[in-house]
Amino acid sequence: MAVDEDPEGHEITALSTMVYSFDGCRVVEIGCGDGRLTRRYADAAESVVAIDPDVEAVAELAAELPRVDSRAIGYDKLILPAQSVDIVLFAWSL
Amino acid sequence: MVDALRRAHRMVKSNGYVVDLHPSAARACVEIGSNKTGYVDAGDAPLRHAAAGAALAVAVNERLFAVEHSLIFTFYTYGDTIEELRDYVVENWRNGRIDDETVARTREVLRVASAVRPRIREDVHIVKLRPITDVSGNASPSTP
Repeated sequence: MAVDEDPEGHEITALSTMVYSFDGCRVVEIGCGDGRLTRRYADAAESVVAIDPDVEAVAELAAELPRVDSRAIGYDKLILPAQSVDIVLFAWSL
Repeated sequence: MVDALRRAHRMVKSNGYVVDLHPSAARACVEIGSNKTGYVDAGDAPLRHAAAGAALAVAVNERLFAVEHSLIFTFYTYGDTIEELRDYVVENWRNGRIDDETVARTREVLRVASAVRPRIREDVHIVKLRPITDVSGNASPSTP
């Protein structure tokens, strides 16, 4: 058996207390890694831009979640219009 | 880190929000059930995590955001063996390691608790921030 991260789902439970619904939301996730958290909410969101400088991890995410706009870049390279996002999510990345 | 929050403030709609997750500055520990067998040496990670908390405080003091909700939850990472967790930390944590003494102590405990999987415990802060002002510096609609 592989290493299991948060099999109890404490992380998504905590996020659910902060974000009641991702429905129709435009989300930017910073530090998405391989999409451990992204895959939990991406289907509900209107759009997701997920970034991480780890090229291999982002390639995994892109293969699994093609509708997510995944980018292997650092936060400093992310350019989005002002006031264009409903939720900015710093995933262990601040 | 504060600059990252300033950029997020510009990006987010006035009725949107920012959610930050970051581990607490407390050291991650290795456990067998509730029995702690040692700590993960995570290099400068506790300092970085403390700095993240400080950056949030600055952003709130600058009145970029108001804290709407926050809590701490526990994040566990399980392995079948302590060696598996040790290797995982080396591969996935920046400058992380589980020292030989912790590995040995965990093996000892596992001899009498072989049905329990060793795990790493981290306490994680999650904070929801509402923007107070819009990009032009005006009060957001939700601000009295």
